[in-house]
Amino acid sequence: MEAIARLVTPEIVGDILKQTQQFEAVSDVLLLQIAALGRQVSHEPGSVLYDAGDRADDIFVVVAGKVEYLVDPGVQASRPARILHPGDVFGWTALLAHKPSRLSKAVCIEPTEIVRLSGEKLLRALAVDSETRAEVMRRFACLIASDYPAPHATPAAASSGRETVAPDSHRINLTVYRLSQWLKSPRPYLMLLGFALFLGFWYLAVEVWKLPRFAEMPGLTVVIKEWLSKDPTYGLSIYTGEYYKHIGMSVWRIAQAFLLATILGVPFGLLLGWSRKFNHYAFPVFEVLRPIPVLAWVPLAIVMFVSTESAVIYLAFLASFFATALNAMLGVESIDESYLRAVYCLGANRWQAFRHVIVPGALPFVFTGLQISVGVAWFSLVAAEMVSGQYGLGYVINTSYSMVRYPTIIIGMITLGAVGYLTSALVRVIGDSLMQWRVRELAMKGD
Amino acid sequence: MRGAIRIDDVVKIYDPRGAAVMAVDHCSLDIEGGEICMVVGPSGCGKTTLLNAIAGFHDITSGCITLDGEVLCSTRHPKATPGSDRIVVFQNGALLPWKTNLQNVALGPVMQGKLSKARAIEKAADMMADAGLAGVEHNFPGEISSGMRRRVEIVRALMNDPKVLLLDEPYRALDSLTKSVMHEALLNVYYKNKVTLFFITHDLEEAIFLGHKVAIMTTRPCRPKKILAVDIPHPRDYGVLTSKRFRELMQETTEAVHEEALKAFQAGEREG
Repeated sequence: MEAIARLVTPEIVGDILKQTQQFEAVSDVLLLQIAALGRQVSHEPGSVLYDAGDRADDIFVVVAGKVEYLVDPGVQASRPARILHPGDVFGWTALLAHKPSRLSKAVCIEPTEIVRLSGEKLLRALAVDSETRAEVMRRFACLIASDYPAPHATPAAASSGRETVAPDSHRINLTVYRLSQWLKSPRPYLMLLGFALFLGFWYLAVEVWKLPRFAEMPGLTVVIKEWLSKDPTYGLSIYTGEYYKHIGMSVWRIAQAFLLATILGVPFGLLLGWSRKFNHYAFPVFEVLRPIPVLAWVPLAIVMFVSTESAVIYLAFLASFFATALNAMLGVESIDESYLRAVYCLGANRWQAFRHVIVPGALPFVFTGLQISVGVAWFSLVAAEMVSGQYGLGYVINTSYSMVRYPTIIIGMITLGAVGYLTSALVRVIGDSLMQWRVRELAMKGD
Repeated sequence: MRGAIRIDDVVKIYDPRGAAVMAVDHCSLDIEGGEICMVVGPSGCGKTTLLNAIAGFHDITSGCITLDGEVLCSTRHPKATPGSDRIVVFQNGALLPWKTNLQNVALGPVMQGKLSKARAIEKAADMMADAGLAGVEHNFPGEISSGMRRRVEIVRALMNDPKVLLLDEPYRALDSLTKSVMHEALLNVYYKNKVTLFFITHDLEEAIFLGHKVAIMTTRPCRPKKILAVDIPHPRDYGVLTSKRFRELMQETTEAVHEEALKAFQAGEREG
């Protein structure tokens, strides 16, 4: 058989690369430079381009012909075998810095024209533009995650970044990847610097310079000594059981209030956004009640509820409920009309449209709402605990004030901030895990 | 052959009580079953209004639209019920971003209760593989290119065995290279499935390349100005674009389209 080798120009290779998700974001000029690295090779049917276990040096672009691609049977992959056509690019393993071995076998099944690109040179070409490089690698990571989804790899293989992926691949991979990216970025160090500046100012202002308005405040060292003391002067430190009882009590109240607000607020908000009629009934009332501050509700709450405990929870619930419901409603309103039209075309009834479009479509807003609502719950809880209740961080702050235990106030405040931040972060993590589609979409956009 | 659409003297006036704007003016158009009918007109000329009336998203003011002899909407019953016999492929794409491509494709038959979830997923995977979309099943739509998304959307429609596909400028946002790939992919799908295509575009070249029939619409109010039967035999491929007949047909129609575009432009200037 006579293979007439068509000479492939870098322009054509560049066009093909541009079509791949990995290189879509790369500039045309850079792609052309990359394409110029290519070496064109003709192959007879049956020739093996590489086999599992071979060293991964090159990336392959199919220009003509067909290639059969078989993943090593020992590796679980979502696409164990497929045929690659002109315009397909494969052999991405070569982009990994330390040249791991191939996990699949590629065999030509027709007279095939291939352009080979050295992975190492490609990376060097990309290195001129670190942002583009990061984008290409990010998309490459997505490809791996979708191709090798099943638990298979040994932890060692996974951590060395081979083409295999650790158990529970997407999520863990993404988290580890994000963490490593975060540590490489300047962000954590700026954050530490920010804290250092803040604490430094506190220390200097109160204890060294003794500035007029700061002189009466408890100093940084005093607070830390008290906080870490086995025998605290004012009775509260990380070694006392009381401290954890206060935290536990506040967290428990928040949990109840937040749960209640979510269970009632999300459906209420979705309904407000979904049903015009319901909106006309309920929204005006909702809008009148919403701006009333929690403190104004305190007397009513005490009258309404026999136990102070329920009154406190009710107060924390109120503000969260409004935040949750409002965001759920906005979430419904943010949904593109075409999605609804599309599912009606596909034969959906009203309930199915609600389930398949309204609920998932509003979810990003719902979770933003929940993050806000957890924060709001915290500050209304503190207000409520100051008014009534026993135990809890708000109670600590308030009683310490009346009993002139200033360092304890600061301990209560810092603890409150930290615990509040943690709960809000927890809601965010839960949201991300429920909305993989959104996480991946944002990852593709480079956020 | 099923999927014949008859648009008979349809009028659509927006806001009949206030400042009435006539979007569609006594428009009649006959589309045979299995035909590719391309509707060409400048942006905002009212062709989408016509599509929305067929799909059942909007009502009509008067006239009648039938599908295989059955009335979809008429003066007496102005709004059609959306259904899986007429599926729209949207301008900006409407794959549900929170479902994977495979789940999107399988959605129709599951919601209609025609197939069990497992069967629908199986069939969806087969259809995607047939359409050359193997490998992106478990990706979310946001992870694949926009050209690929359009193809998934068309497969999602075909899963329901529709009589008519209503395409609302589906390739508008694509670059011309991707577009040419999409055209051939669409024709391949069409040759395999034989549905009626009601395809809205403002790209005359696209219209003549794909269509059996090209309806050039007047600008607001919208009605056919010229109906061109494209006598280039199917199956077609990209060679057609350079053929003599194609050039002749382009010449024959360019003027009519340009005239309407100019009118639309001037009208826009007046309003602005």
